[in-house]
This record gives sequence, structure tokens and C-alpha cells, in this order.
Amino acid sequence: MATTVKSTDLDFQNIKAGLKNYLRSKSEFADYDFDASGLNNILDVLAYNTHINGLTANFALNEAFLPTAQLRSSVVSHAETLGYQVRSRTTASALVNLTVNLAGVIGRPAQIQLPVGWQFTSSIDGISYTFRTLETYFARDNGSGLYEFKTTTGSIDIPIYEGVEKTKTFLVGEADERQVFVIPDNTIDTSTADVLVYDTASSTNYVTYTRLSEAVTIDANSTVYSIREAPNGFYELNFGDGVSFGKKPDAGNKVVVTYLSSSGPDANSGDTFTSNSNLTVGGIGYTVSTATSNESTGGALRQSIESVRQLAPIAYASQQRLVTSADYKATILSNFSQVNDCNVWSGDQNVPIDYGAVYVCLNFPAGTSQATKDLVKANIVTNFTDNLSVVSMTTKFTDPTDVFLELNTQFDFDPALSGFTLAGTETGVFNYVTNYFNTNLNTFNAIFRRSNLLTEIDALDQAILSSRIDVKAQLRIEPTVGVVDNFELSFPMKIASPDDEIYSVSSSIFEYNGAVCQIKNKLNDTRLQIIDIDGNVLLDNVGEYKPLDGEVNIIGFTLDAFIGGNQFIKISVVPDNPSVIRPLRNYVLRLDTSESSATATIDRQTSSLQVT
Amino acid sequence: MAIKAFSIEDGNLSASIVTTRSKKYTDIDLTFTAKPSGDVYKKFDAAAVKQSVKNLLLTSRYEKPFQPNFGANLNSALFALDTDYDPDFIQDLIADAIAKYEPRARVLEISLNLQPETNALDATIVFQVVNTSEVVSVDVSLTRLR
Repeated sequence: MATTVKSTDLDFQNIKAGLKNYLRSKSEFADYDFDASGLNNILDVLAYNTHINGLTANFALNEAFLPTAQLRSSVVSHAETLGYQVRSRTTASALVNLTVNLAGVIGRPAQIQLPVGWQFTSSIDGISYTFRTLETYFARDNGSGLYEFKTTTGSIDIPIYEGVEKTKTFLVGEADERQVFVIPDNTIDTSTADVLVYDTASSTNYVTYTRLSEAVTIDANSTVYSIREAPNGFYELNFGDGVSFGKKPDAGNKVVVTYLSSSGPDANSGDTFTSNSNLTVGGIGYTVSTATSNESTGGALRQSIESVRQLAPIAYASQQRLVTSADYKATILSNFSQVNDCNVWSGDQNVPIDYGAVYVCLNFPAGTSQATKDLVKANIVTNFTDNLSVVSMTTKFTDPTDVFLELNTQFDFDPALSGFTLAGTETGVFNYVTNYFNTNLNTFNAIFRRSNLLTEIDALDQAILSSRIDVKAQLRIEPTVGVVDNFELSFPMKIASPDDEIYSVSSSIFEYNGAVCQIKNKLNDTRLQIIDIDGNVLLDNVGEYKPLDGEVNIIGFTLDAFIGGNQFIKISVVPDNPSVIRPLRNYVLRLDTSESSATATIDRQTSSLQVT
Repeated sequence: MAIKAFSIEDGNLSASIVTTRSKKYTDIDLTFTAKPSGDVYKKFDAAAVKQSVKNLLLTSRYEKPFQPNFGANLNSALFALDTDYDPDFIQDLIADAIAKYEPRARVLEISLNLQPETNALDATIVFQVVNTSEVVSVDVSLTRLR
């Protein structure tokens, strides 16, 4: 029988209205419209039940798909079906130089050893964190009794990792079903886990298992393990099935898992480390001196839901291979928590064209040291691009280039329509523009569209009647004082052609030949000149700019001194099309707040009709 | 008074004209007692309105889904009968609830018997069922349970 009741509706009132409509068509009951009636109460129960069922079905269906799932357990589960390993919490790591001074010690050894798990303490924001080595390191006498520890590659930068070492021991029992071993700890850094399988509970013979993701081939005897995040947020240790997918521990075996329990990002930025104990040599303890080569970085919470949602499908598409730029991006962002964002393009898209190369641009958080950046780049090449990329492709790294935008916003303001003052609204608009950049730009491939921003500014307050923005793009040069230098600046857009009134290129002020000067293009010309503040040309030709190529070439420039405290000079250009600025490759658009402004003009809209 | 007659062309409306609306209230009996046939009993007219008024007065705020203001909220008065509430206020609670949510009842009289020491109240509401001349009363007794 057809009814008017929509049992899939989500809104309680609509469901109840449907039930009432149904009763309206019947003559048996008449009181359904009165809120206090018994029938109305029964309709409440029916509608509420339908409402709950509808919501439950809606939520359940949302959880059934990766793009709409809200629960972390659902997202992680979907990612797993795509073969994507969700990143656990990661430990912060630092690089330190470690030395022990045995000068004057009679009979000192030729080599000393720093055992694995050597602990250091660093205080960050008033909280002490423990860092430790994960390998054994050796140091040799330099002839005068100074021992400097080195890695197997000969580097004196010793990595130490933050975290508390924890151990879980499992005895493998008889079971027909496959066993998983629960690690009830959501602070684990799974990349630090060591899994040892002993023959028996009391045996000292063990086999070290390797991570599944590091396995090249897998057969029935492969000693591999995987650690996956369980629906309750804890972790589960899995082994193979013993048939075709890796070795399965036998009953009676003892499984020992050792890992670091990490504090995540809280342990970043540690720059002073102290050894917790003295190193014993010949029965006497000696101080382990520590010098920080690189402060602690890379500590991160476990991968966020949104990050998993974004990267899992791309990782699936890449199939553990680095072919497309999206493959590179997904692999790097999934495996390196030190990297905020990255952009990848092929050599044929580069300027200049460089066939056979893949360009990778990494955006690190502010304050990341050069040593950390170099380490991350080396690891990307060693662990990923060398193994997974197409043969003959070379990975090249470039740094992000910040293109600063100077936005001078002007808007018409009617005070009668607002409770805010003119100055307050100016500040509000300026802050909004700043936040707009923080939210929508400041990252790779984020395009600035002036009309979008203007639309949002107009919508800020009804008192803002209209608005416009003058846009300039800016790159910065860092000349050495007193040295003749050349600079080639490439902007990510065309530059406005020479004009007879407006300078297309202009710089911030600096000192040249004892005068306060700027670089500007000659009006109606692409030639660059050095002009003092009175308009006198001090150097007629200091390069040129190419409007169509977006290039500014400064040639033979000698700086006397910087002015204003900055150790750089800003070179600003008027874009040919200020409506849109599209950052390509390694460009990142940022706002230069010191050169931007928001200015209001009073427009009261009231006009008196004047009859003459 | 003369009887009005209409022609056949005008629809043969010679039948008597009903000048008041006759409405039959029909509600389900919330005791859910079964008839011998297995069906539940119904309540009609004044009995239906009476059940409705009682139901309204025994409902507290936020009890009815998606209608947080429904109910007389008398339960909340039980715990402060000798401090915050006076009879007039409770009478207003009852009258306001009926006026707002039970348009079929026109309240004629509300009698209260407050027992602050035992946190109990008895109320008798006399009302007329709208569109009829029938006057009925409802007794409501509320006592704290714990």
C-alpha cells in the first residue's frame, strides 16, 4: 500500500508530518494534531524511531566510504584496503657530536664503544625529554686522547631519538586461528620497533623479523611483520600465514617487541643535550661531551584523518612506484613528517628544460636546520627514489621560492551602516586579508585570484560598499655590500609593459654612492636605473626587465649599505594581469604585510537633490 | 423563526443548515487495554480531551523529542514547594500549558493542595471542552519518587 510516510527522511518534523498526513487520510483517529494527545505521543515515538534509523543508516553509509568517513577507525580501515600504511606517531630526532676526552690516561684503548640506548636529556619549554641512540657507535683515539664517535659512514653527526623504550613480550600459543599480538600503546613510533622471535620462552636464540614494507620478495619462510593501527587506536603486530605470506611464529615461540614511546611534536626544537651518565672506560667513568649539530625535529602525532583521506588513494594509484608527480608527493608526505608540503614536476616542465630529471621542492617548517633538510633529502633518494622511480630518472631538489604579494586594498565605507569605526574596519579588512593568505595560500599550487578575495571583503560588512586591490609581486635579492653582483629574478607571471607614468619595476630603498636610492625601470622603457629619492639618475643602466618572460635581470649592481634593518632588497613588479597570479613549480605566494595595507574612503551614500 | 427554503436550481439546499461545527475527538486509549477483539480501546470527545490534559500536565520540559518547551513542568516544582513556588505560580504553569498546547480545553478552575513537607501536590483542573457545553475535571497527583 502506498503511503505518504517517507521512512528515509532524516528530519524529525518531516517524518512526523508524514505520519500525520497518513492519519489525515483515515477517519479512525482525529486527535493527532493536538500535541498532548495520546496519538500525538505515539507519533512522536514512531517519528523518533524513524529519525534514529534514518540517521544511523546515514552515518553508517558515510562511514562506508573513504571520502565521507568521520571515524578514525573507518578511515584507517579504508586506507588499509588500499594497501596504505597509516603513519604512527613519530619521534623527534637530533644530530649530536659526541666526544670523550681520555687525554693523559695511561694505557687508554685504541677504540671505545658507545652502547645502543645511550641516553641524553634535553629540556624543552621547561619539560625534560629523554633521547637515546638506536645503534652502537665507535670512536678511535685521535692520538691525543680525544675520541669522537662516528657512524658507519664516517659522519660525526650521531642521530639520537626521543622516547621511552618499551618492551612487550608475547608467548605464542596453540591456535587454529591466525594470532595478532596487541600493543596497547597509542604513543608507539612503529618505525622504531624491533621484533625478535625466540625459539622458546627461555631460549637466547632469536630471529630478527623485518618490516613488511621493507621486504623485497615474500615467500612462506620470509621473516616479516607488520604493525597496523587497530580500530581502538592501539596497534597490532601481525605475522605471515606460514603458507605463502611470510613465516608464522610457532607455538612455544616468544615474541619480543621493543619500540620507542614518543612524545611526538612536543620534543621538537631541543637544542641542548646532556648525557645522562658517564662512559666507563677501564673501570672509570668519563664525561660524554655533547655538541648539537642539529636541533630535534621530525616529532609528529600520528597521521591525521584528513591526511590519510588525501594520500591513501594517491598511494594506491602509485602502487609503490614513483612514476607521476602525485606518486612522489604522496610517498614523500607519507614518510617524512618533517616536510610540511612538497611539489614535484618533471624536467620538461622546468625552466630551463632538463630532460631526465624530476624536480622535488620541499617546504619545511620554519626553523628547520640545513642539516635536517639535507638528511631528509638524502633519505628520500636512498630509501625511495633510487628504488621506486623509473630507471634513468634523476631526482633533483630545489628550494621553495617565496613570491611576496603587496596588496593595497581600498574600499568605500558607509559608517551609517556599521557599528564599527573606520579605523576598526580597516584593521578588520587587513587582518582578513592576512588570514586569507594563511588559509588559502602560503603553499604550493595555491593560486591568487583577486576577484575571489574582493568578493569576500565585500561580504565582510554591509558598510563595505565596494573595494579594489592594487597588486604587486615581489622577489628579494641579497647582495653583498661592496661587491659587484648580478641577479636574475624570474617571476611566475608576465610583468606589465613599460608605461609613461607608472614604474613597472621598483625596489625598496638602499644606499648607493652615499645617497638613498631605488632601482626602477625607466619610464616607457625596460631599462633599469638607480634613482635617488629626488629623482636623479645615478646609474643609467643596471640591467633590464623582460615583461613577457617575467624576468628582471640586474647587472653590475654594487650595494653600499642596506637601509631599514633588512639584509635584503625587495624588487617589486606590477603584474601584467593582476587579477590572477598562478605560482608554478617551486613558487609559494605569501603576503608581505609590511608592504600591504587596507584603506577606507568614506562614502555616506546620502545625496541631497539639488534643484537649480 | 421562519425556515428558509432554496430552489432546486440552487442545489436543493432545503436541508437544515448546521450553524455550529460538530467535531468528534478520537484518540487512542493510553492504558492500551485490549478489547476482546484484540484491538485497543479508543477515547472519544471529553474523555479524549481529559486524557490529553492529564498527559500534558504530567510531562516535563525536554521530555518530548524536538519539543523542549512542551509540558507543564510540574515535577520541577515538587522540590521547592515551600520556597520558590507559591500556588499562584503553579496555577499559572498549569493554565499556560493548557492554553498553549491543548486548545480543546477552556480552563474554568484550578484547585491546588500543596504538601511541601512530603514534596507532593494535588491539582484538580475543571475545564470546558471547547465547542461543547461539557464541563469535566481532571485530578493530578504528583509525589517525589526519590
